[in-house]
Amino acid sequence: MENNTDIISLDDFRFIEDKNPEFNESKGENLSYWADAKRRLLKNKVAMISLAFIIIIFILSIVIPIVSPYTYSQQDLDNINAPPSSEHYFGTDSLGRDLWVRVWYGARVSLAVGIFGSIIPSLIGIVIGGISGYFGGKVDMVIMRLIDIIMCVPSMIYIILIMLYIGSGPVPLIIAFALTGWMGTARNVRGLVLQLKEREFVLASKALGASSTSLIFSHLIPNTLGIVIVGITMGVPSAIFHEAYLSFIGLGIAPPIPSWGQLANLGTAVFRIYPYQLLIPAIMISITMLSFNLFGDGLRDALDPKLRN
Amino acid sequence: MIKYIIKRLFISILTIWLLATICFFLLRTLPGNPFQSDQIISVEMQEKMMSYYGLDRPLMEQYITYLGNLLKGDMGYSLKYTNRTVNSIIKSAFPVSADLGLRSLAIALPLGLFLGIVSAKKRGQAVDYLCVFISVIGVSIPSFILGSFLQYIFALKLGILPMAQWKTQLHTVLPSVALSLSLLATLTRVMRASMLEVIGQDYIKTAKGKGLDGKKITWSHQIRNALVPILTMLGPMVASVLMGTFVIEKIFAIPGLGQHFVNSITGLDYTMTMGLTVFYGTFMVAANFIVDIAYGIVDPRIRITK
Amino acid sequence: MSERILEVKDLRVSFDTYAGEVQAVRGVSFYVDKGETLAIVGESGCGKSVTVQTIMKLISMPPGRIKSGSINYCGKDISGYTDKMMETIRGKEMSMIFQDPMTSLNPTMRIGRQIKEGILKHTRINSKEAEEKAINLLRDVGIPDPDKSMIRYPHVFSGGMRQRIMISIALACNPKILFADEPTTALDVTTQSQILELMNELKERLNTAIVLITHDLGVVARMADRVAVMYAGKIVESGTANDIFYSPKHPYTWGLLESLPSIDREKSNRLFMIPGSPINLIDPPAGCSFADRCKYSMYVCKKQEPTETQINGTHSASCWLLDERAPEISFKRGVI
Repeated sequence: MENNTDIISLDDFRFIEDKNPEFNESKGENLSYWADAKRRLLKNKVAMISLAFIIIIFILSIVIPIVSPYTYSQQDLDNINAPPSSEHYFGTDSLGRDLWVRVWYGARVSLAVGIFGSIIPSLIGIVIGGISGYFGGKVDMVIMRLIDIIMCVPSMIYIILIMLYIGSGPVPLIIAFALTGWMGTARNVRGLVLQLKEREFVLASKALGASSTSLIFSHLIPNTLGIVIVGITMGVPSAIFHEAYLSFIGLGIAPPIPSWGQLANLGTAVFRIYPYQLLIPAIMISITMLSFNLFGDGLRDALDPKLRN
Repeated sequence: MIKYIIKRLFISILTIWLLATICFFLLRTLPGNPFQSDQIISVEMQEKMMSYYGLDRPLMEQYITYLGNLLKGDMGYSLKYTNRTVNSIIKSAFPVSADLGLRSLAIALPLGLFLGIVSAKKRGQAVDYLCVFISVIGVSIPSFILGSFLQYIFALKLGILPMAQWKTQLHTVLPSVALSLSLLATLTRVMRASMLEVIGQDYIKTAKGKGLDGKKITWSHQIRNALVPILTMLGPMVASVLMGTFVIEKIFAIPGLGQHFVNSITGLDYTMTMGLTVFYGTFMVAANFIVDIAYGIVDPRIRITK
Repeated sequence: MSERILEVKDLRVSFDTYAGEVQAVRGVSFYVDKGETLAIVGESGCGKSVTVQTIMKLISMPPGRIKSGSINYCGKDISGYTDKMMETIRGKEMSMIFQDPMTSLNPTMRIGRQIKEGILKHTRINSKEAEEKAINLLRDVGIPDPDKSMIRYPHVFSGGMRQRIMISIALACNPKILFADEPTTALDVTTQSQILELMNELKERLNTAIVLITHDLGVVARMADRVAVMYAGKIVESGTANDIFYSPKHPYTWGLLESLPSIDREKSNRLFMIPGSPINLIDPPAGCSFADRCKYSMYVCKKQEPTETQINGTHSASCWLLDERAPEISFKRGVI
């Protein structure tokens, strides 16, 4: 851009002394990968709102059953199928149980099953996938073939079979998820480890004499952590869905312990007359799944190294 | 290519065998006796029935017999519906479930792919946001809950569609739609991501550089390549539709195979549960096999690398 | 009098990003005559790819946009052409080959079809004739077994082979001008040599003009008739190959030449490197964009951008050192 207002004099044609041709600091702060990811995540409004919902539901699930005058199994046969009122915020079910406390107690169950039902399989998956990827060769081939074979059949079928064997309830559910849900994570982690093994920085570290353990901990794990965290977050709505599904067909959580799936199941029976008994747990399920999905999306975008700016 | 097919075939057969075996041993070792819950039967009668159904023989012998029968396609008699074979129940009920499943796929596939393509091409515009919104909602609402909602709105309140059962074309609408939504949502998401990935590729620039017009680029180059990752999803898609039929049939009182499956579980009808599990398992394995072959055809790189 | 195929005048291209307006091309002018090879040299990020991709309108707009300037192809200003209008030009009048042969070809389409596509779009021959033509093209670029190769997929070919296929696609309809965006950067040295050889051969035969983008002065020396040196979105010096190599006038050009390792340099000298790093294109400085890194910068360089000085009929440069008021500086290799 020509700047015609500046008058150039002969004097200007002198060489500049005291130049320091340092490499210019690139404009833009030099953040670490995690700090940058955190910054981007915090900026993501949708993700933050979802996180807020999750936290609120979490808190309410702890607090409400404690402060409520009713318990989740307390029956009041004079007051069955009552619509929402100031006494029973969500009304009562066909046995006169207060739905407000049942929904929030059920939240504990569904959330616990959802979260643990996602973390535990992921941990198993990391271990197996990590071993498979790190050692490669025959070990890798065998494990991957095994996964191929097992995954030919939908996991729900395995879960149903397992639940039949060990019975119903939150712990059996989590066990069933753990046994059937690790395969996806294992594949992902194994793929990542294989990639990372070949990358220059690992070779460089090895050349400098790093041991296997230190390689695993200081290089491989931090790089796979991102994918794993996202995987766990997205696994929660899946686990919640499975729980609801199983409870719906009678296999998940048995009464009187409530879970959202079970409440939805009970609600469908009387849906046509008392729609609120289904709508309320259904909405809870949907909002929670939605929030985890959206937050997981935001998390994935934040941790994607290609989007760094 | 042939090697690839044979390998997949081998794995498929292995899987079915594994499943059948697991089923067998699992159900045999389950507590409970299928005959005790129903009518009051004397112990003698129970024992007679056990021996009639071969349930008192040693385990391994039962297993071998079982495998032998399976290979012949015989899955035995239902323990609950006396005189009816599992096969006959499958024969009568499966077509209904298949019909439901196919209708859902017919809704979800074209619509899902279409919305995914549109939202990718019009990225950032209103259409895109709408599609993403629909797909996120669709993924978060389980099909059976949606089914109940739809029943409530369209059958109960508005009265324009039948509430349940599977009698006329109108009857098929709500269940198919309910079953299709989450699949539709997933397809839209995946197709959109795939298209966006492809659109940014160098070979699209090459195609443009040749002077090809927009439509040709979209069809021959973008969509064609974007579809490849979708194929890998077809297997799980069929699986989720299959699983979905169980609950949808329950809500809408549809006389399909799913109902029988669910009931057989709670009713401890061993042969039925096993038979249906093996049936479903085989079905899924076959579906995955076909998808794998199709994938090998469409993406030439797989044939070499796998 | 040579026919002027392409004339670009004061082209300015910017990208609208979240961070602001990135001025990628800030007033670029050059021309290309029939049958000649113009090399555009510069480091990564200087705007050379953006320039040629803008000429062919391959940049997505948004977020890119042409701020101002004209692009004259055979006398017609195509800067305002719509996509539809460009379709008649792309492939037929001008084409482009890209840097990475691995990703520039459609992985799920047989190469025969990829070649035929362009031919069928722009010429009125039938499918069978197009097939013939494509096989001949493959033969011309040196693909073995051309008729059998037509049905093969890109991934079975090596990088060098794929680049040859790219060339055959680009030259299929005999365009007047070929843009080659770092065509050999991703290839090994021997293959590089073969590809450049091929390009020259075809250029001779078809009389195609070539705009060759590269950061490798060795490639320039081998291929170019004329050279334009680009830095930070502007052309800082341009002339014939002789002008640039034997009497360069801009300190950046000196730096580039100096960075070429040479056999007859003294062993004790370290490899030369232009200090500093390129400027921020969102907020370019007021004066000469090279001033911070230039050994000979003067106060005037920081104040105002230098005007273009015509050194002789073919050679021009934009530097305050060429102003009559500036001290005399001459360039000698090995002395900088």
